[in-house]
Amino acid sequence: MVVMFVRLKLRMTANNFRGQPWRVALFLAGIFFGLWWAAGGFLLFAVPGLAGSEKAALLVAGFGGGALTLGWVLLPLVFFGVDETLDPARFALLPLRRRTVVTGMLAAALVGIPAVATLASTAGLVVSAGALGGWTAALAQAAGVAAGLFLCVAASRALTSAFATMLRSRRMRDLAAIALAGLAALLGPLQIGLIAAAETADWDRLIGPARVVGWTPLAAGYTLGFDVAAGRGWAVPLKLAITLAATAALLWWWSWSLEAAMVGGTPTTAGPARAARGGAVDQLIPRGMRWMARNRYAALVARETRYWWRDVRRRAGLITFLVVGLFLPVMINVAGNARSPGTVSISMIFVGTLAAVTLANQFGYDGTAYGANVVAGVPGRLELRSRVAAFTAYAGPLLVVVAVAMSLLLGEPTWVGLLLGTLAAAYGAGLAANLFVSILAAYALPETSNPFTINTGASVAKSLLSLVSMLGSAAAAVPMVVTAALLGDAPTWLWLAGPVGVGYGLGAAALGVYLAGDVLDRRMPELLAAVTPRR
Amino acid sequence: MDSALAVRGLVKRFETVVAVAGIDLDVPAGSFFGLLGPNGAGKTTTLSMAVGLLRPDEGRVWVLGHDVWSDPTGAKALLGVLPDGVRLFDRLTGAELLAYHGLLRGMDPAVIDQRARELLDVLALAGAGRTLVVDYSAGMKKKIGLACALLHAPRLLVLDEPFEAVDPVSAALIRDILQRYVAGGGTVIFSSHVMEVVERLCSHAAILADGAIKRVGTLDEVRGGRSLEDVFVEVVGGRTATGEELAWL
Repeated sequence: MVVMFVRLKLRMTANNFRGQPWRVALFLAGIFFGLWWAAGGFLLFAVPGLAGSEKAALLVAGFGGGALTLGWVLLPLVFFGVDETLDPARFALLPLRRRTVVTGMLAAALVGIPAVATLASTAGLVVSAGALGGWTAALAQAAGVAAGLFLCVAASRALTSAFATMLRSRRMRDLAAIALAGLAALLGPLQIGLIAAAETADWDRLIGPARVVGWTPLAAGYTLGFDVAAGRGWAVPLKLAITLAATAALLWWWSWSLEAAMVGGTPTTAGPARAARGGAVDQLIPRGMRWMARNRYAALVARETRYWWRDVRRRAGLITFLVVGLFLPVMINVAGNARSPGTVSISMIFVGTLAAVTLANQFGYDGTAYGANVVAGVPGRLELRSRVAAFTAYAGPLLVVVAVAMSLLLGEPTWVGLLLGTLAAAYGAGLAANLFVSILAAYALPETSNPFTINTGASVAKSLLSLVSMLGSAAAAVPMVVTAALLGDAPTWLWLAGPVGVGYGLGAAALGVYLAGDVLDRRMPELLAAVTPRR
Repeated sequence: MDSALAVRGLVKRFETVVAVAGIDLDVPAGSFFGLLGPNGAGKTTTLSMAVGLLRPDEGRVWVLGHDVWSDPTGAKALLGVLPDGVRLFDRLTGAELLAYHGLLRGMDPAVIDQRARELLDVLALAGAGRTLVVDYSAGMKKKIGLACALLHAPRLLVLDEPFEAVDPVSAALIRDILQRYVAGGGTVIFSSHVMEVVERLCSHAAILADGAIKRVGTLDEVRGGRSLEDVFVEVVGGRTATGEELAWL
């Protein structure tokens, strides 16, 4: 039965390539990147053992393995999404037991570039353990690596699935936001650990934490070979049990939310419909926008504004940005000791860029509904201007909050102008880059209820695109960085940076809208075709 | 008679499959035109190209004299479209969706309010209140889609499968609205594979199969004295069951 699921996934992946050379190219690019990471990871994991350093091996296994597991948990939520080639809803009508579906889906999830790359890189641990403790250690480590992979896949599936269920229900979505924030906050200790390690270079102090991490499910599977090498054979069954118990718990959790996904989202509007008040136009325009003239622009902005909150996918993107945008700079700058306008500027550029990248597939969110705008003949520039305005209604205040909060946390209130200017410049430049990406490289999102899912093979496209648009946005913000680096914390620059940065951002965004609007005017039907899911 | 919709040499290929193989079509102004065809005949592809949603590989389309692909603004202002299998902006309520479409068409807000209220009343959607369109039933979605297409009083209505998934009561209502619209000088072209609807409503019809027009003309010309279903099955070349297969059923 499990074999059937795996074959189904392979067949669907293969069929997806039919007559789509660019998909094959992307898939090959994905394999290349996967191999690249696998080789790098393999070396990182294998070298300490081959060099005979037991301490280094434990450090790498504990922290490296832990980071790997955390990556599997967080990255699909924040950046990549999960490849749901096998949509659980399709199995709802078949007479299958839940256990069969879960094991089948897990097996299918194991067949993929990320899983294979993970397995290949952690195989380095087997080599390392073998070099230190002989073949028994290697054997134990091999079992640990396999168990660790199961845990990673189960964790990523369980979490995305659970968050999807939570974000769908109106009662739970705020809770989901908080939970996501908590997860992102997990990055904090990791950051602090890394920075501390880099600064003190006192490896002995880190052995303790590495041991502790090695006893958590995060890295239990990845450290047990080194226990054998150190003569603690009794740890092997315990650590395997920890890993397998965690996997079982996650699978149980996953199966529970799978059931919800299989039966389909329950309609969120229960009970009698609330009566509408006021004219149709007044209902469309949100309360905060009543001052706008009632025209095409207002209609587009109003719809977009409502969509950023009502569409689960967009809301997920917005919440993710909110969480990462608030936490990451705090972690980097408050934890680190080096506080210079330069490092702060760089983290601000990251946040501003991240905000803009949320728009990288803005038309994909609309899907075929975008056809309404094509039929109405909305001019490209108007379309883009309204989308930028609506998103900025959410992102703008947030960026201001980030700037103010950061300057207060750093105890440098005079830097607020610099921070805000850098954020605005990066955001505006990022918008310009991402408007092009959203038109030229739009891709269809599957019509499922899980906002984190993407189509088969699209994960490579998505991650490449995120990378390209991040790089493009950062490149567009380069003048601002250079200026910041040259002038440093010269008092005049601290005051000038605010207006200059905001002006730069506005100018870049306006130029982006102007140029990309032209491209959109020529490519509307192609864009619509690109965001139409294949059925 | 002038053509409300004129199509010349329309071709569309998907990879290796030819979906539409050179279609010429004239929809006379003021006609009620039925585009008939089996599943996969190319109805949706043809209509999508006619309204500017899908770029044709070859051929041209005019809406009341405006070229859809070189003068889209002029053509699209005269068009009302109800696509099939296409999502609406369904995270809006019915009234919000109508207001959105009205403002996109550059209508006066007061006129939008008044027409939206009438349309929601007539189509029995006013009771849905603040329910989002995504939570509507399939039939209600068709009706709100039709309302969006009608709101700006277009001169040509292009409807793809307007009666699919619609219950008999709503279907009668939609028929009534469309007949009034044509009587008022509008032109309707719609696709369907239900013969009765076409026979009851249309003044003109075309039968499309394998991406080409097989029969076209007034309803009587197409029927040629027989029932439309007989003509359709003969043209399309369907198979008739012999009773031998599926004996296990």
